[in-house]
Amino acid sequence: MRHYEVMVILEPSLDERNVAPSLEKHLNVIRQEGGDVEKVDVWGRRRLSYEINKHAEGIYAVVDLNSEPATVKELDRQLSLNETVLRTKVVRRDPKRAGARR
Amino acid sequence: MMANPRPARRKQNLLARMGESTVDWKDVEVLRKFISDRGKIRSRRVTGLEPKQQREVATAIKNAREMALLPYPSRATK
Repeated sequence: MRHYEVMVILEPSLDERNVAPSLEKHLNVIRQEGGDVEKVDVWGRRRLSYEINKHAEGIYAVVDLNSEPATVKELDRQLSLNETVLRTKVVRRDPKRAGARR
Repeated sequence: MMANPRPARRKQNLLARMGESTVDWKDVEVLRKFISDRGKIRSRRVTGLEPKQQREVATAIKNAREMALLPYPSRATK
């Protein structure tokens, strides 16, 4: 099991209140495969430094989780298939050092 | 002895000035201090960081760029 940080940028047209529940749905993969989700942090709407798919804004969310490498990979794959997801990033992190700051 | 034409003015900066030894790629405020207004990463000569820290900062900036938290270098004024 390893600690991962997954950052997701979602389309700005979504309602921010729906972000957490829809992420939860994706995160079920982790739970089913024996991993655990530590924290879901929805930053909310933010200006992008450059346009992504013609969008100037995005809804940011950061998820801290523990799982097997193959499981995060699957999560990342499923997220990128979702059309409302503009971008994802998976970073491996030493949990001791992982800060919660923006 | 001849005077050094460029007086020593070293150790101007350090991440330590902010009371930190590492950076987080999600911490945009801190990372912004390490890029120029064109979006380029500042050199070690300017930042005064240790080699390890400089590499860390550079990677953090590149990660942040991929997630549109920081701009890529550009000619245009931002």
